[in-house]
Amino acid sequence: MKKVININFQGRVIPIEETAYDILKQYVESLRRFFANEEGRDEIINDIEGRIAELFGESLKKGETCITDETVNKIIASMGRPEDFEGEEANVKSQLGGEGNQQQYNNGYNAYANDPRGRLYRNDTDKLLGGVCSGIANYLRVDPTIVRLVFALMVFGAGTGIFLYILLWIILPSKPLVTNISSKRLYRNPDEKVIAGVASGISAYFDIAIWIPRLIFALPLVSGIASSIFRHSFWWDGDPFPGVVFGSFGGTLFVVYAILWAVIPEAKSASEKLEMRGEKVDLNTIKNTIQEDLEGFKSRAEKWGGEVNEKAQEWSKEFSSTVNEKGKQFTSEVNYAAKKTGGGIFKIIGFIFKAFFLFIAGIIAFALLVALLAFLVAGIGVFPLKNFFLEGFWQNFLAWTTLLLFLGVPVIGFTTWLIRRIMGVKSGNKSVGFTFAGMWVLGLISAGILAFMIAENFDARARDKQQLTITQPVSGKLIIKVPDSKVKVYGRWFKMDGLLSMTDDSLVLNNVRIHLVKSNDSLFHMDATKYSNGSDESSALHNIKEMNYGISQQDSTVWLDRGFSLQRGTKFRNQGVVVTIYIPIGKRILLDRTVQRRLNHFELNNGHNDWDSDEDWDNNFYGWDSDVEYKMTAGGLERTDKKQKSVEESNNDENNSNQEALDNYKKSKEELKKEYEKKQKEAEDLKKELEKPIDSTQYHYKKVTAIIAPAVTEDNTQLEDILDSHMLLMQMVL
Amino acid sequence: MDIQNTQSQMRKGVLEFCILSIIRQGEVYPSDLVDRMKAANLHILEGTLYPLLTRLKNAGLLTYRWVESNSGPPRKYFVMTDLGLEFYGELERTWKELADAVHTLTQPVAEQPTTEENQHQP
Repeated sequence: MKKVININFQGRVIPIEETAYDILKQYVESLRRFFANEEGRDEIINDIEGRIAELFGESLKKGETCITDETVNKIIASMGRPEDFEGEEANVKSQLGGEGNQQQYNNGYNAYANDPRGRLYRNDTDKLLGGVCSGIANYLRVDPTIVRLVFALMVFGAGTGIFLYILLWIILPSKPLVTNISSKRLYRNPDEKVIAGVASGISAYFDIAIWIPRLIFALPLVSGIASSIFRHSFWWDGDPFPGVVFGSFGGTLFVVYAILWAVIPEAKSASEKLEMRGEKVDLNTIKNTIQEDLEGFKSRAEKWGGEVNEKAQEWSKEFSSTVNEKGKQFTSEVNYAAKKTGGGIFKIIGFIFKAFFLFIAGIIAFALLVALLAFLVAGIGVFPLKNFFLEGFWQNFLAWTTLLLFLGVPVIGFTTWLIRRIMGVKSGNKSVGFTFAGMWVLGLISAGILAFMIAENFDARARDKQQLTITQPVSGKLIIKVPDSKVKVYGRWFKMDGLLSMTDDSLVLNNVRIHLVKSNDSLFHMDATKYSNGSDESSALHNIKEMNYGISQQDSTVWLDRGFSLQRGTKFRNQGVVVTIYIPIGKRILLDRTVQRRLNHFELNNGHNDWDSDEDWDNNFYGWDSDVEYKMTAGGLERTDKKQKSVEESNNDENNSNQEALDNYKKSKEELKKEYEKKQKEAEDLKKELEKPIDSTQYHYKKVTAIIAPAVTEDNTQLEDILDSHMLLMQMVL
Repeated sequence: MDIQNTQSQMRKGVLEFCILSIIRQGEVYPSDLVDRMKAANLHILEGTLYPLLTRLKNAGLLTYRWVESNSGPPRKYFVMTDLGLEFYGELERTWKELADAVHTLTQPVAEQPTTEENQHQP
């Protein structure tokens, strides 16, 4: 009892037993494979199918109810299986091409049969440029691909390969040779590929598990991920790209992969696939391979999924097609000029284009991944601070969602995909991808809402000025110092501008600025302006009240607190302190080195004057250097060390110095006015910027683009170098 | 040396010549061609014939026309082109030369021993 199905074969409906159909399908597929490299493949297959259909028709006419296994097998026997006409092929081909090929065939035959090793020739039958590599391969009885690789590496390495090649090209005689290697050849395996099947081809050639070469190629990626996980602070330590991508190891592997991709041919036909695996290419094994393939197709078609996979394929197709097109265009245009060797050269240039397109694409993809990772790491890094940023359940909830979905999902997704591809697992379906994408979109939305909510919390701004009482220094010189931290600092794994440290229950900010101003009377004064943002005026004022900043005095030395702490429960709302020191004319001030070292400006708002725009700018002085003594004059602060002499002079000649001081004052006033105008402009720009929601990710984003940009330009220069060298090569050849 | 291999090499060498000579005589359908060759005791697989015909056609030596068939899809009938005739002429000349040469060499020639004797005599 057999199942009979109807098939549409060559335009006829034919009832056929299912098993017979399988045999037929397999046979046609085997023909397709056999004629894979034949020019008129489709026509040949079509002719044979047409003849089979005719024979089917005849047997049905004779009275058979359907096509049976027997009928199909009989027809196949009369048509012949690929293994039956293997031998005939080579002969027929060689006879067709006229005299030249005839000669070639004879020569080749002799070389193959009689000459055990022979002389070193350039191979005329299998060549990219001059046939040097394949000639050497023929002599050494190895795969020409391997020799080509060695030359390619020599060219990329030191350029010596070019000269050696040209030298050999000149020295060696050309001769058509017949392939004398019956063993394995190195191919790219299109059946099991992540990018181009290089790794799986290598694993087939060396007979090792597929994940080994894959892991080696993925190593820079894996090590990059590992290093970014282990070194939480790498983001602040400088850009991680030179080390990972352009570092000798990672960079080389990228280049090597690209070269391998370009040089190693893809195993397209069944016989090539067998050569790849090192099985003896007799046509029975071809049959087995095809059977395997067919079964593989079935299961694959069922299991196929995973949009990542498709993307990777699209990606590679797109690149190879554009490269091919360009290469072809190029070739056809200049083919006349360099007909003999031109094809080879342009083939190679095409290869190089391809390799570098892929190289750059790989780097961009990698950079994106690293950037994503950096976001995640930065997110985790900032996370302990969340209590100081976030208010209420919803913001916390959104923060977690953002971290997990927006940042975590892509990283997990990519890692899983990578591991899967390395291990050669091919399951997975589309719904997983959609779920991941959906989760990511959710994360994106929550990130947006979170940013908006936080920005609202920074909406209002308040400040509070506090007079600080100090005793006048006897010497007429005030020294400002910052003591060592009173707060014990727990582990320094997290560092950020303006944040001094974190303890378990409070956050210490050292967002303190010092502002030197001319005093209106003959006394030193000090005041501290605390400022903060908040969702509204009252909450901003509340935030200010929570800040404690104090100073203490010891003789002529004033100690400024190292920072102010935010208690748990108080939120970070861009709080800051401006300490204004009023210096009377003729008195001196020294800002100790510790001031600059220990007080940081947290310039989230970058503004110079948004809290004191109403004050007299002419008297402001921000650009102080630490550890330098200044003296307040009518024209502003002056360094005492530079003008030591003039200071002494002025002591001797009071009148003269007064005149000078007046001139200076006038001059400096004009300059300061100009500066004031400039700064006001700046401030306006900044205010505009401030109106945009404050988004902490923006900060990182800027860093990321800044790092990617130089990386890309570096590629371009490399590409140009290679092109240059090849122009040179072309000139030499022509 | 594999005897079978040598035999098939010899046979296949003239295959193309035979096919062309059949087509030269008039329009022909591939499976009829196979039958005619079979009748002449020259066996060829249809599966080998189709690619060969396609190649000859692509080389401009043959051309074909479609003929409707009542037992299956339309059939392709092959005819020879002028170029094909020229090509065939060349092959025919080569074949004649070759046949003569082979004939001359493989015949047990009566004079040969005498020349050898002549050589020995002096």
